[in-house]
Amino acid sequence: MFLLAAITGKYGEGESSDSALVERFIRKDVSAFEELYDRHSRVVYALVVRILQQGSTAEEVVQDVFLHLWRNAGQYQSSRGPFVPWLLTLARNRALDQLRLKSERQRRREDQTEEIPAIAQRPDYEKALDEKRRAERVRSLMSSLSAPQKKAIEMAYFEGLSHSEIAESLHEPLGTVKSWIRNGLLRLKEGLQTAS
Amino acid sequence: MSEHDQFRELIEAYALGALDANERAALEAHLASGCAECAKALEEARLVVTQLAYLAPPAEPSEMLRARVLRSVRADAAGGSGGGSLPMQAGGAQRTSVPMWLWAGIAALLLFSLYSTWEARSMKQIIGDTNQQVVAALKERKQLEEELTMAKHEAWILTDPSSKKIMIMPSDKSMPMVEAMWHPKMGIYVTAQQMPMPKNNKVLQLWLIPKTPGAKPMPSHVFWPDANGKIGEMVANPPDDMADTKALAITEEPAGGSPQPTSTPMWVGGVS
Repeated sequence: MFLLAAITGKYGEGESSDSALVERFIRKDVSAFEELYDRHSRVVYALVVRILQQGSTAEEVVQDVFLHLWRNAGQYQSSRGPFVPWLLTLARNRALDQLRLKSERQRRREDQTEEIPAIAQRPDYEKALDEKRRAERVRSLMSSLSAPQKKAIEMAYFEGLSHSEIAESLHEPLGTVKSWIRNGLLRLKEGLQTAS
Repeated sequence: MSEHDQFRELIEAYALGALDANERAALEAHLASGCAECAKALEEARLVVTQLAYLAPPAEPSEMLRARVLRSVRADAAGGSGGGSLPMQAGGAQRTSVPMWLWAGIAALLLFSLYSTWEARSMKQIIGDTNQQVVAALKERKQLEEELTMAKHEAWILTDPSSKKIMIMPSDKSMPMVEAMWHPKMGIYVTAQQMPMPKNNKVLQLWLIPKTPGAKPMPSHVFWPDANGKIGEMVANPPDDMADTKALAITEEPAGGSPQPTSTPMWVGGVS
């Protein structure tokens, strides 16, 4: 089973798939955008709140993300990957930028905000998974990791910290942190493929 | 381990954004060289990394946010510039139109705020008045308690068998008689009816006349009758002992009383 098929999916019968909605929204169809917002604003908002730890700022970032999405609809190319991971990457980058701006930390990532990288090439995804099931699956897989391994991955993802910053924060050797993160992500990948 | 393998090991951390600057630059150079295997691994790693978003605790964006976003999008779609706010963008101070419902909300909030202020002031006034009433009630209660104590004291003197009754007779037969009850421990209680009010701003003063020959009268209580001519005066601590006192006398004295009698006694009563 392809990894992409395991992770991405379309919605149930009677509802338009994300790709069909995205095609419409690229053509500036407001109702398509509205449906995309209703489908994905919760997970985007939850992610941004988790990163910023502040509801009011999180709402500003989420507003910024969706308006950016609308005004730069042409930036998204379905051939470069599924829509939701692209949207989540955009939201995470915006939230981390805001976090770094607030904490006056050096920006380590300068060019990913506007230019979202390709995520996966294969467009043939059919696996149906709603948000709740996705969350349950990822949490279940992450719970199989050791506590420090999970902690290191979360610090990198939600706080935007580098290997050496995490090692310093956890008082662990740099090599250990690198191993935790790589092995943890590989196990997550393996688990996602197996679960499908 | 080949150079390619070394870079391959960095792919997951790169997708996560966890590489330090030097490693990131090296890997980006490697990717730019056209390594297809690493590029493919990176795409997959990025897909895995996006799944970490689902670790965030569930949270529900507000309806206000939805309304703001959709209003801006509709305004954009209609070709208008009114609603397009991007608050997080640099220099993004764009005009945002305020809908009527929001004005109504602001007006309601303002009214509520004014009402709350008025209510707070009213409550403060009520609390202040109540406090004054409580203080007045406590004062009145204390006064009543003192009067009750005094009344008990007087009743005790009047009824106790060890009290001695002293008739203080007027020198002027047209004047009423004054009666004193002297308790050896609790003091003297002086009563009279239909007493005339002293004239020229003077007061009545009680004196204890010692038995010792030549000793000066001991000044005691200063008093005056009430509007009905009644006297009921308590001398809690007489200046001399009953056994050492020959008589009680009452004179008219200037306001405030005198250390020595300044007039002839108008009433005199023998004690022992």
